[in-house]
Amino acid sequence: MNSCIGFILDEKLIEIDFSKERKFTPTTTVLNYLRDLPNHKGVKEGCAEGDCGACTIVIAELDGRNGLQYRAVNSCLIFLPKLHGKWLITVENIKNPDGSLHPVQQAMVDYHGSQCGFCTPGFIMSMFALYKSNLPNTRAVIEDALTGNLCRCTGYQPIIEAAEFALQDRKPDHFSKIEKEIIAILKKIVLKSMQMATDRQKYFMPVSVTELLYIKNQNPDAIIINGASDIALRVTKKYELIPSIIDTMQIEELHVIRKSIDHLYCGSAITLNQLMEVSREWYPAIYEACSVFGSKQIREMATIGGNLGTASPIGDLPPVLAAYKTDVVVVSEKGARIIPVDEFICGYRKTSLKKGEIIKGIKIPKPMDGTIIKFYKVSKRKDLDISTVSAAFRLTPDKEKKINEIKIIFGGMAEMTKHAVKTEKFLKGKSRTRETIEQAMPILEEEFTPISDARSSAQFRSVIAKNLLLRFFDDLADT
Amino acid sequence: MTPKIPHESARKHVTGEAVYVDDMLVNNQLLIGKVVYSPHAHAKIKSFHLDVARNLPGVYAVIRYQDIPGENQMGPVVHDELCLAKDEVNCIGQAVFLIAAESEEICREAEKLIKIEYKPSEAILSIEQAIAKNNLMGPERKIETGDVDKALKKCKHKISGSLTTGAQEHWYLETQAAVCIPGEDNEMKVYSSTQHPSETQAIVAGVLGINRNDVVVEMRRMGGAFGGKETQANHVAAWSALLAKATGQPVKIRLFRDDDQIMTGKRHPYLINYKAGFDNKGKLIAVEFELNANGGMATDLSFAILERAMFHVDNAYYIPNLRVIGRVWKTNQPSNTAFRGFGGPQGMAAIETIVDRIARQLKMDAAEIRRRNFYGINDRNLTHYDQKVENNHLKMMFDRILHSSEYLKRRQDINEFNSKNEFKKKGMSLTPVKFGISFTTSFLNQAGALVNIYQDGTVLVNHGGTEMGQGLHTKIQQIAAAELGISFEKIKLTATDTSKVPNTSATAASSGTDLNGMAVKNAIDKLKSRMIPFIVDHFNEKGEIIKSQIRAIHFINDCIIDSENPARKIDFAKAVNMCYIKQVPLSATGFYRTPDIYFNREKGKGKPFHYYVFGMAVSEVLLDTLTGYHKILRTDILHDVGDSLNPAIDMGQVQGGYIQGVGWCTTEECKWDEKGNLLNHSPDTYKIPSIQDIPEDFRCSLLEDVPNPSTIRKSKAVGEPPFMLAFSAWLAVKDAISAVADHQIEPEFSIPATNEVILLSLEKLRSIKKQ
Repeated sequence: MNSCIGFILDEKLIEIDFSKERKFTPTTTVLNYLRDLPNHKGVKEGCAEGDCGACTIVIAELDGRNGLQYRAVNSCLIFLPKLHGKWLITVENIKNPDGSLHPVQQAMVDYHGSQCGFCTPGFIMSMFALYKSNLPNTRAVIEDALTGNLCRCTGYQPIIEAAEFALQDRKPDHFSKIEKEIIAILKKIVLKSMQMATDRQKYFMPVSVTELLYIKNQNPDAIIINGASDIALRVTKKYELIPSIIDTMQIEELHVIRKSIDHLYCGSAITLNQLMEVSREWYPAIYEACSVFGSKQIREMATIGGNLGTASPIGDLPPVLAAYKTDVVVVSEKGARIIPVDEFICGYRKTSLKKGEIIKGIKIPKPMDGTIIKFYKVSKRKDLDISTVSAAFRLTPDKEKKINEIKIIFGGMAEMTKHAVKTEKFLKGKSRTRETIEQAMPILEEEFTPISDARSSAQFRSVIAKNLLLRFFDDLADT
Repeated sequence: MTPKIPHESARKHVTGEAVYVDDMLVNNQLLIGKVVYSPHAHAKIKSFHLDVARNLPGVYAVIRYQDIPGENQMGPVVHDELCLAKDEVNCIGQAVFLIAAESEEICREAEKLIKIEYKPSEAILSIEQAIAKNNLMGPERKIETGDVDKALKKCKHKISGSLTTGAQEHWYLETQAAVCIPGEDNEMKVYSSTQHPSETQAIVAGVLGINRNDVVVEMRRMGGAFGGKETQANHVAAWSALLAKATGQPVKIRLFRDDDQIMTGKRHPYLINYKAGFDNKGKLIAVEFELNANGGMATDLSFAILERAMFHVDNAYYIPNLRVIGRVWKTNQPSNTAFRGFGGPQGMAAIETIVDRIARQLKMDAAEIRRRNFYGINDRNLTHYDQKVENNHLKMMFDRILHSSEYLKRRQDINEFNSKNEFKKKGMSLTPVKFGISFTTSFLNQAGALVNIYQDGTVLVNHGGTEMGQGLHTKIQQIAAAELGISFEKIKLTATDTSKVPNTSATAASSGTDLNGMAVKNAIDKLKSRMIPFIVDHFNEKGEIIKSQIRAIHFINDCIIDSENPARKIDFAKAVNMCYIKQVPLSATGFYRTPDIYFNREKGKGKPFHYYVFGMAVSEVLLDTLTGYHKILRTDILHDVGDSLNPAIDMGQVQGGYIQGVGWCTTEECKWDEKGNLLNHSPDTYKIPSIQDIPEDFRCSLLEDVPNPSTIRKSKAVGEPPFMLAFSAWLAVKDAISAVADHQIEPEFSIPATNEVILLSLEKLRSIKKQ
């Protein structure tokens, strides 16, 4: 078994062999690793939970087309083994070799985008990843790329101006010049089955589903991760030692996206960013749900499998996936089975996965023409905030504009994401009038007993739930 | 003066080279410190066992209050805040024990091994509970003018009500941090992320029981502070110092985000009751305010903050009969503390609520009501504490922003939009700011500086102010460059250091540049007056008939010239070298005290402020009345900074202050459970504005051609006043809510107006409307 990871930092190949390493464990975060080095203190810890972006780094990896793909991610939520085969870029690497500033840095200076400077390295990294992408320099793109970076001083206006300027004319930079060299080194780092074990912890990185299922059978308590954007919090906030982890990063079968005539299939390791891109055309409500999911940094790591597997009562994806009648494909050594997503989630943080089963992917049918699906999220802050309440609606009107079929699924209203069964029943077959909706609202309010917590009161949740029904039908009137 | 110079550390910020306390490379003897704090809001400590933790390998010290060599005290003004709890704890987050160990991990393991038995008792967790128990922090305060009771009785129109304003977490990106390195004898070197190095020095000396000349505090830069590091940075420094003393090794404490949010104080929540009387035209005749502040478990700066709140209940309005009573209540929460605006926002929120209600009651535009009540130039210009409002720009700014924001046209557009849309409503509001500049404790208005000129003509400037991102060092560098007539690059600012400039005040009250800039100028004036006679001699050496005169010597363009005989000039660096050879001292201290300010607390009268800053903003929002979600569509700001020392830096303060204010007014909410646990102790649930929360169209400008007499280079302070421009967004939201009932019913409203507050207010309006 191989226990040594290899990655590039400061243009050099770094190897960490966890069987010999004393200082770092497989669940040491990249942030803590970097801050332990004398020359990477520019990477800051602001919250250790992926909410502030001060620790943002860029990971570049082979894009499968002989090039590199640059992604800005939160180093506070990334375990070291995830660097295997990748190029780790920090704020210290951004300036030009002659000491002059990179265009994103120069723009931040010229537009007065830094005040206290503590968030600045993170902003630079997010802007740098954007610089290396082919996305346009529109305000929407910039805001989306920088939502995961909090600044308490500037009010963001000068940062937006700096980004707009830096991104308007993107010339090859010093990273472009060494890409070939880097690619050559990265290609030499073999992706192979790995097991990193310390006396207190096992961290597996299998390369196939078969191997994954075997390891899972041998280690039934092992936690399966991919992005680990949620699981990492147990390490960074609760200081848990997770004894056994299986990381699916290297399993190609789980990274598959297949579009056929009537459905879309996504492997469980597909990130929310990838899902967002691929759903733009057929599944606008999924696109909408993804666009308000965490930040771009989080979406780069968070996966479909992780979001389903965690079975959170707030459930970012499950309501909208249920509205699209998505199936979850699960496999075990015994074979595969298909579970509708609203049966897959079966209780507070509980899934219907049986022992030895793992989430392989999801299958989203293309809705029939005329079916209307919408997603709503209500949170204290619109972006990078966990839902107080989320809702997905599916409506199929019949020819007389009556409600032929309606599905209403809420997150944040119960111990799990749940259909508003009584309301659905009441509305089915009725005509789409204001009166009908107003009659349905108290029914909806009745059928849930939400809780009060740090995010909101129960009363607020109840009001929101019934209002979202009205909001949905009001939005339909516009279309 | 060179405008729009980037922040002096901008290049270091963008390259990650800027060093913050946690980034310092300390030798490998550095230990990590951790605070074990109370999980109870109010409890007796019955027993505890430290030995198991002490014996854990890698643990170097576990200390308790008996181990404090000096005074167990860190209250900055009133000595009512223990450094480590004795036999009782008074809030969740209160420090009980300290651990020093090789790593954070070992600290955490050691903490788990400390067994403490508490006996919880009843806790006071809100202003209302404190009032019910009459748990005052100190005597109530009062400022009064006119005859309020008599005037109120006569008023035709009266309103009364109450307003609550919430706590606000500072959310500086860099959490509290300090490194302490023990030296020879009793010496302690402290690197602290503090706004007040002199007080940090005093508190460290106090807990260690040593003299202040044994303690040096150094502060290069903070990763944000906003008032949160004015007094409470002292705590982390004191704890680190105690551990460094106990172990004889360097010790660093950097609070984890959640610990920082749980342990440190916030902006004071206020409960404000008011009664106001006004005439048919909406002119204020009499107002009575009762301010109740949640002080938390110790005094900290609560009374100074209360005082500023009381000074700002008039905001920009002349109120002939005004009484304001202020009380600070003691609760079992961490001691609330300074936060940008320092009570000003709470006081001003109350009067802005009153003015807004008057407009709704009289069915008039609120901006017009505001205009009618502005302080006058020649009359109606005396505040309730008897200070005359001088150099008043309110009406001029009102006219300008009304025009530039197209307020009247947009008001019509909004009315039209609202009449056509059932569930989406727009709202708009124009609000002014008048903010007094100076520490209201008059003696604090002093500053010192040390300026060294070296033989190569480079200059090192040190002053008592600290850099927290606000650009103070950049402005000071510009001031020094302008006063010495040399280029910006020749001047270097050093870290703030208590051994270079002693007995300084906090960098607070927006006064950093006003005070320290003047002190630096004073030092430079001394140096110039020492150099000039030698320059004159040098110019006159050749026996010219027309002699060079002292009065004609100017420092300009890296030279020293005789302005009456411009051919006579000498390069600055050469002149410096010449002065050195002539044995002229090239190092000078500078000092400044703000003239003519005083305040008599017993009478509630005086001139507490050197001058006022004015600002005005118009914000427009779009509200979804079904979800409470709103977006700021456009904000126009016109702000007064006198002659700007650096328009880019000033603009940064204006925009940043406004957005921080929007956060306090909308999404930033602190909630506690029934046991006193803070529920929003991380950015997961505590939501400061993100990049998507700023106005879609954000138009800021600085008022030009209004030099401020008698300040450094005719500038004005800028740090705090823009914060309160956010009331325009807050009241725009209220205006949009109000539109649901055609502005006929007064909506319930408070700070923060979270979407929950907004939605429940809307629901109430709808149900009243139905009846």
